[in-house]
Amino acid sequence: MLGLAARSRAGWRLTDKPDEELVAEILGGRPDSFTEIVARHRSRIERLCRRFFSDDEIVRDIGQESFIRAYSALASYRAEMPFGGWLRAIVVNLCYDELRRRRRRPEELVADFGAPEVQWMQLVNHASPEEIVGEAEQRRESYDLAHRLLDFLKPEDRMVMVLKESEDMSVSEIAATLGWTEAKVKIRAFRARQLLRKHAERLMAVGRSREQ
Amino acid sequence: MMNCFEARQEFPALWRKTASVERRAELTAHLATCAKCDHAFRIFALTAPVLHSTNDYSADRAVANSGREFSTADRPRRFASAARAERTVPRWLAMSAAAVIFVLASSAAYISISAPGDSLTDALFAPDAGVNSESAADVFAPELPATENDLAS
Repeated sequence: MLGLAARSRAGWRLTDKPDEELVAEILGGRPDSFTEIVARHRSRIERLCRRFFSDDEIVRDIGQESFIRAYSALASYRAEMPFGGWLRAIVVNLCYDELRRRRRRPEELVADFGAPEVQWMQLVNHASPEEIVGEAEQRRESYDLAHRLLDFLKPEDRMVMVLKESEDMSVSEIAATLGWTEAKVKIRAFRARQLLRKHAERLMAVGRSREQ
Repeated sequence: MMNCFEARQEFPALWRKTASVERRAELTAHLATCAKCDHAFRIFALTAPVLHSTNDYSADRAVANSGREFSTADRPRRFASAARAERTVPRWLAMSAAAVIFVLASSAAYISISAPGDSLTDALFAPDAGVNSESAADVFAPELPATENDLAS
């Protein structure tokens, strides 16, 4: 009865069981329970991947590969840590590997600057903060340009930026997830901010030069 | 009144629209008066669509794929693209090898035409080439009469 109520309330949600219980069911011989784990975490995982990659196909592929790896390694999961955190560590490491494999060359930043990008830069240079926030949601180029800017960072620096800024993870959490020292995380974060500021200034200058 | 440190701490909340109305008003008022924070916000805005947005910029494409069910048997295409990337070097080598073979074949054809030997030009203009040479060399040619006596007989 409760299960039916939960199903009708949440739509896609089959049960209200915690992740750890579903994992125990899978390990106990009920692999169907993994479907619910996927349904619960899929959007969050793909949103995290989108912080690293603008290509939807890569996002979906990494998302799927993360679940495949999680399923394969489920026996090694220990319930002391939250399942979401364990799954996130898998995704983060996959994204890190992919970033290292396909690092873009920095000179691609302004090489093919089109009219939409120039308009977005002009908006960032001149509009009010609230206008910028409102317009950014409507413009895909704001997202693409942000990715291009972040592509300047080394994979290590980008990992730290995304985990710190987007996921609100602490330095110690990042260090634990990536297997680095806290000092390394701090240094990477500092370098990443410096580099991003430098390239953002350059981008804004390009926007101003295109106005003339 | 909000100071610069507090204002910069509020940038993500402004972007995600999670700041209260009062806090947002304070922040915009601060940005209007502080040129450094205003500049910092504009720099922040360049990466915020990726780092701080909750908006799904690819929603239109995601809807088209929403019916796709996950399956462990569904081999990710990333593997295929990775395999293509790994094949780049052998393909490059194969193309280079094909180019080398083509050049060698072209050179051999050119040499066989231009070098002295059994070519048609040599056969036509060789010093011993003549009308009788064929009969002299050819053992199967009919024997011709050599003198008038031979003809009479």
